[in-house]
Amino acid sequence: MTGNLLVFLGAALASAVEMVEALTIVLALGVTRGWRAPLQGAVAALVVLAVLVAVLGPALEAVPIDVLRLIVGSLLLVFGLQWLRKAILRASGLKALHDEDAAFAAEVAAAQAMGITPGRDRYSLVISFKSTLLEGLEVAFIVITLGANQGATAVAAAGAVVALVAVVIIGALVRHPLSRVPENTLKFTVGVMLTSFGTFWAGEGVGIDWPGDEASLAALILLTVAWSLLFARLLRRTPTVVIA
Amino acid sequence: MSGLWHGIVDFVVGDDLGIAIAVLVLLVLAAAAVHFGADAWWLLAAGVPVALWVSLQRARRTAREAS
Repeated sequence: MTGNLLVFLGAALASAVEMVEALTIVLALGVTRGWRAPLQGAVAALVVLAVLVAVLGPALEAVPIDVLRLIVGSLLLVFGLQWLRKAILRASGLKALHDEDAAFAAEVAAAQAMGITPGRDRYSLVISFKSTLLEGLEVAFIVITLGANQGATAVAAAGAVVALVAVVIIGALVRHPLSRVPENTLKFTVGVMLTSFGTFWAGEGVGIDWPGDEASLAALILLTVAWSLLFARLLRRTPTVVIA
Repeated sequence: MSGLWHGIVDFVVGDDLGIAIAVLVLLVLAAAAVHFGADAWWLLAAGVPVALWVSLQRARRTAREAS
């Protein structure tokens, strides 16, 4: 039950982070060039992602659990550490924070520079499709891997969909990039969850018996939060140049 | 085909290949320890943060060199 809740939350938070970024691009295209083509592109990408999850999720659940835990756990661990690395570098000031307003302005400028031709707006369609697909691929990967390992692909997918719907509704209401969303905090949280799940499952995959079985997952999460915050604090002490 | 493979590797491995290598090494060591009957949970619990810290230090050095 707790495992499923964590899977739901992990997928929802990852989806929120990525969909905020996709929303910025779709909004920029929509307000500059009209809504029809960007919306069509975004919906087409979401359909592709849904098919990917629907096909690969259940297929992975059929793989023997030890093999699955080793492979998927290792991938999740690497993936989670990358998210955590980026979030810590941003939190410590070594990497620039992702700025939705700046991304929006850059996308609006690019969209205005492209002339609008009569008929279907292929530029908006392609950019919107590509952006939503690329941002969504990370979410699909997380949904498939988290879900398959826990035997709860539907739960993970539900988490991603709930976050997607929330981002779309808020985006439609404010019609402005969601720059107030604490993106780096969400990224940090997802990184912690993926790293903890990945460590636990990859460990089980190589035959490790975790003390207290599933209970050690909670301990791993707390431990990961603790050392991640410590790392961000230690890095913040030494000011250096900010990587863009 | 090689472009697709590069894309997949880049997608999973991300900015620092060192992290992926460190994870691989840790898992091999843990599997060996389990094979010889040792408790290896602590190896992952301690090794994963060390791997990230090394990667973060590398990023800090790069940033310092760029300044």
